[in-house]
Amino acid sequence: MKCVILAAGEGKRMHPLTYTRPKVMIPIANKPILEWNLLNAINAGIKDFIFVVAYKSEMVRNYFQNGKKWNINIEYINQGQALGTAHAIGIVEKFVDDFIVLCGDTIFGKKDIKNISNKNPSVGLFKIENANEYGIVKTSNSKIVKIYEKMDKPFSNVINAGIYHFDKKIFDYIKKTKRSLRGEYEITDSINMMAKEKEIKGIFLDEWRDVVYPWHLLDANEQILDKNNKKIIGNIEKNTTIKGKVSIGEDTIVMNGSYIEGPVIIGKNCKIGPNCYIRPFTSIGNGCHIGNACEVKNSIVLDNSNIPHHNYVGDSVIGGNCNLGSGCKIANLRLDKKNITAFINGVKIETKRRKLGAIIGDNTQTGINSVINTGSVIGNNVFIGPNASAFGYIKPDSKIL
Amino acid sequence: MKAVILAAGEGKRLRPYTETLPKVMLPVVNKPILEYVLDAVIKSGINEIIVVVGYKKEVILEYFKDYNKANITYVTQDKQLGTAHALLQAKKHLKDSFIVLSGDNIIDSNSISKLIEDKSKYSILIKRHSQPSKYGVVFLEKNMIKEIVEKPKEELGNFISTGIYKLPKSVFKTIEDLGSDGIYALSTVIQSLVNQGEEINTIIAESWMDIVYPWDLIKVNETMIHELPSSIGGVVEKGVTIKGDVFVGKDTKIYSGCYIVGPVFIGEGCEIGPNVCIFPSTTIGDNSVIQPFGHIQNAVIMNEVHVGSQSFLKNSIVGRSTIIKDHFSSINGSPTVEIEGEFKKLKNMGTMIGDDCNIGSSVVIDSGKIIGKNCKINSLKKIMDNIPSNTKVM
Amino acid sequence: MCGIIGYNGFRNADKVLIDGLKRLEYRGYDSAGIGVIGKNLKIYKEIGEISKLEKYIPKLDGDIGIGHTRWATHGGVSKENAHPHLSGNNKIAIIHNGIIENFQKLREELKKQGVKLRSQTDTEVIAHLIEKNYKGNLYDAVFSALKKIKGSYALVVISSDEPDKIIGARKESPLVIGVGDNENFLASDIPALLKYTNRVIFLNDGEMCIIKKNKVKVFNEKNKEIKKEEKLIKWDFKDAEKSGFSHFMLKEIYDQPETVHKVFLGRVSEIDRTITFPEKVENIIQDVKSINIVACGTSFYSGLVGKYFIEKLTELPVNVELSSEYRYFGTKNKDSLVICITQSGETADTLAALKEAKISGCKTLVITNVIGSTATRISDAYILTQSGPEIGVAATKTFTSQILVLFLISLKLAILEKKIGADELYEYILHLKELSKKVRQVLDKNEEISNIAKKLKDSNSVFFIGRGINFPISLEGALKLKEISYLHAEGFAAGELKHGPFALLTKTSPVVAIVTNNSTYDKMIANIGEVKARGPKVIAIAEENDTEIEKHADFVLRYPSNSNMLSCVSISVILQLLAYHVANFRNCSIDKPRNLAKSVTVE
Repeated sequence: MKCVILAAGEGKRMHPLTYTRPKVMIPIANKPILEWNLLNAINAGIKDFIFVVAYKSEMVRNYFQNGKKWNINIEYINQGQALGTAHAIGIVEKFVDDFIVLCGDTIFGKKDIKNISNKNPSVGLFKIENANEYGIVKTSNSKIVKIYEKMDKPFSNVINAGIYHFDKKIFDYIKKTKRSLRGEYEITDSINMMAKEKEIKGIFLDEWRDVVYPWHLLDANEQILDKNNKKIIGNIEKNTTIKGKVSIGEDTIVMNGSYIEGPVIIGKNCKIGPNCYIRPFTSIGNGCHIGNACEVKNSIVLDNSNIPHHNYVGDSVIGGNCNLGSGCKIANLRLDKKNITAFINGVKIETKRRKLGAIIGDNTQTGINSVINTGSVIGNNVFIGPNASAFGYIKPDSKIL
Repeated sequence: MKAVILAAGEGKRLRPYTETLPKVMLPVVNKPILEYVLDAVIKSGINEIIVVVGYKKEVILEYFKDYNKANITYVTQDKQLGTAHALLQAKKHLKDSFIVLSGDNIIDSNSISKLIEDKSKYSILIKRHSQPSKYGVVFLEKNMIKEIVEKPKEELGNFISTGIYKLPKSVFKTIEDLGSDGIYALSTVIQSLVNQGEEINTIIAESWMDIVYPWDLIKVNETMIHELPSSIGGVVEKGVTIKGDVFVGKDTKIYSGCYIVGPVFIGEGCEIGPNVCIFPSTTIGDNSVIQPFGHIQNAVIMNEVHVGSQSFLKNSIVGRSTIIKDHFSSINGSPTVEIEGEFKKLKNMGTMIGDDCNIGSSVVIDSGKIIGKNCKINSLKKIMDNIPSNTKVM
Repeated sequence: MCGIIGYNGFRNADKVLIDGLKRLEYRGYDSAGIGVIGKNLKIYKEIGEISKLEKYIPKLDGDIGIGHTRWATHGGVSKENAHPHLSGNNKIAIIHNGIIENFQKLREELKKQGVKLRSQTDTEVIAHLIEKNYKGNLYDAVFSALKKIKGSYALVVISSDEPDKIIGARKESPLVIGVGDNENFLASDIPALLKYTNRVIFLNDGEMCIIKKNKVKVFNEKNKEIKKEEKLIKWDFKDAEKSGFSHFMLKEIYDQPETVHKVFLGRVSEIDRTITFPEKVENIIQDVKSINIVACGTSFYSGLVGKYFIEKLTELPVNVELSSEYRYFGTKNKDSLVICITQSGETADTLAALKEAKISGCKTLVITNVIGSTATRISDAYILTQSGPEIGVAATKTFTSQILVLFLISLKLAILEKKIGADELYEYILHLKELSKKVRQVLDKNEEISNIAKKLKDSNSVFFIGRGINFPISLEGALKLKEISYLHAEGFAAGELKHGPFALLTKTSPVVAIVTNNSTYDKMIANIGEVKARGPKVIAIAEENDTEIEKHADFVLRYPSNSNMLSCVSISVILQLLAYHVANFRNCSIDKPRNLAKSVTVE
């Protein structure tokens, strides 16, 4: 049985992080979202995978290659145009027989993947509080009756989780599927057609984690790091304090005076310290430099970024290849303690978070003593000058002097 | 379901701006009205749209050439023979019931959705309005249309027709039956249907805005600019103060010392400053240059405009490609303006300058005055009257 | 210059091939054909556009195939001459872009051996040669066959005996491999592949390849397998749509108020009074002693306008050379800056000249519209016209953009040579900023221009005359008219008419005279008088405030007055619209004129 993972989407709501990578490649706890799904599927016993790619497919292919690293097989199929989930699943027809499909940008647990693998055909379901953001599923005796579009006042809180088990028969329904109002071919329409003629089982999942906006990554990061184990491979000097579940990668140096409170994960080849304070639920990628007098908390820092001198980074996501100038600080709490709003693609979103620092895209540099306000969303290739103050939504390639 | 958007009209009352642009392309916060309409139609779930063009259609075709959020088919109305005739041009693209709306009124997507969901054969969106006599006033009986009176002289009733309908394909027969010898508005067709005993269901629209006179551009700008997100692009030099919701387009440069209080919209490729003050609710279009020490407040400045040093523009409109040299003053006041034989009293009005004008140094224009398109005003002039298009003031 | 595409993968080959051919149609479109191997090898060919072929083919089974769109070089346009061509035993199908120089001799030899040739093309010869050399290995057969060929080729071959592979070979005609996932592609140009993959391998001259569903092998000219680097293409290829305009050309003419701005974006600052180019460009225009501008066609005319700008604003000597002639004449002085102008960045003649200039040690600068094109990869520095894709074969917006880039270069050189100061520069910048408005004012006169065009449509010839900067503008005006309306048209320096061409003037050969209110005015009026005396009607293109011109010309089209040098932009737009309307009245195929192709890649 093969596992098809849909990894073609750009994930526009994850801008600016997705200007330079597909959504499935955004790292949480130092592994791309797609890798978490891959590992859980491997643990559920699957050995053959097909990744449906398109947007920046080279990032997926270069990272996962042919799967040898995990002793499994990975094949790639390019979707070509973004025409919807039914189209994405449709193009793998020649390569599969009995197969499960999962949306690469949602994290599924290994037990649930195993349960779905055991029932054919089946659709994964999940109970959630804010069901009005998702498609609601009506079931009868554990069988799928209909999957509905998202609605303002949902009649149930059971949603379509985005994991399915099909056999070759689904392709007949996919071929008959018409374009939805959005202009795409949706697998939910194909499933609804099939549900009228065949029995499809609805299986409730135990675990399900969706990430829509960049700050959701912080929640997912927290959840995954919590399950982490302590594993220290790097070079730790004598006078450092490391408490709790902390992982430190190969060739990383942690210098004296560093105080690290887990759960924290630090990648390979990093230079940490001296005298820095890394607090819980922080993920630091590979090749990063967290230097003297810096404090980082509840944040995700992507590869090759530097938080090198006198910086504060809290509740933030910092892209790859970024450099914060000495003294640059990111505010994460409003003085009036109200919830923070952020702008994604120009749309104002209530994050419902009391603490949120900044979401910064790749290759962005900030000057000395610059200040970044709460809820800032800063594009890639941005330059924030010395002593400058950045706030709101800053488009890619801009300069705030 | 498909939608037909009527975008063929000229909009004579909005001269001088409609001398270069069809009414649907007049900018509100740097976006043509038609784009708001298209976005609202698409958001309500429709993605097959027929746009009827006519007057200056190339402007529309050129602007929307990369617009791919929906399938758009263009049909041309060669002669301006009324909205019913305009709708008729779309006949061959329609099979079932459809929505028809005008491209020059801003409508929200929820109202369109309600219209789509309504099960009646004919439905219309209506709106309460404080000054109904400028429009088609509707008289209701049990929520159905009893009568539509197009632009009545006296104030009667307080609901107006938005001109947005859901109609069945059979309406084309009614239009054709009216004959081809006159200019017919859609409202006449609806009235004819009512007279034949048909029931036209009415649904109240949530938000609907029309632009009738040039000064309406300022008011609509003020209303729509609040939907603006704060988003800074381009280069912002040191020493610039930005407060509130301010949008700065990419490749724009804001030079030192500028003081910008939102809501303010600045387009792409502009050069602002140094030391320019911009206050709410100002919109500046693309590729415009505001020279040092400008003071701009509640103004609508279109694309490619040059505003010279130390100029004061408040409650004013500056048309596209107009060049204003230094020390310009727009006098603000509450003038009485004559338009189409009627007198209107305006409050807080500056000046309205058309496209392609060339205004010299130290020119002063009195409040409420309209300067036409392509005018040339020499330096040191005091303008106390409207200036028709293509005039030179020596 | 034909378009080639090959596919070996899992999708239905017919759809992929037709889609790819549509994106290559600009390369050549007098006929097209595809060959697909399903249960057997099926070939479909048709004359005319790809949409005609598309209607004609049935739903084909098969996930391996080749496709071709043709611009005839040898042999007329016919179904038999269209590609793919089959071998005698109908098992081998080939498509070819290029010219086989010794094909006549090979044809004779084949005929002697009893081979029946079905077409008049040079390409067919190759198919038969491959068949003759076939001993069970298609690659070896192609390799041996090619040993006998003299000429240029991008060749793609399939055989029903080996339905798992496609063979490709390149010599002096472009061929690119698209590396996909479970599928691979061959194409003459990258846009054909971009929908499915962004990884390409550029084949070099003399190289061959075997394309399988999951593997690509490349061999050098010594037949040794080599490893080639995959390049990641970062282009964003958007489908250019006409969206309501009746022709791409009209849409592109109407694009000009916007494209004019795009040339200035990021380069001209009014407040700072500066013109800035990227570092590499700024470095290369320092210490220039002389300039050679090299280009073809419309770009050659923009070069002539550029010469005028540079010589007026600085005192640098400028030589403008046709790309195809550069190798025979062009000065290859190490101190000179060679500026090559090519819209596509792929024009073969210009690329050859560029390479020569580089080899001679000259500094090279390219003006082009396509980022990542071959020209930008060869030259020391490049400036993009940033006009967006130009689909209409006749250049319109890229011409005006090229002129403006050259104007910016001349301003920059003038500043470096201290020939103009900050104040003067500021005046020029203000004029530049007004250009968009001027172009719009011209576009508003569309109907007037159309009425004048009606008067030209039945002429025998049309002559365009101008002086100074308007001389190359006349040349371009004549070229536009020729290209799309098939009317004979010629441009002349106004002073030259009397030295010969007067003999051609008759009542049915109207003359378009470009008149500017400067020192050339009186002489132009005199020229107009001389012309009228010999019969033809005169259409004057005159400034808005020219009150005298009506007395001399029969018809007048006006352009808004501007700094004299930049009026050439408004005048060009008038001439573009004039040509467009004449072509329209004559029912010509405006976007794809007969016998012409965009981006000429054959020398």
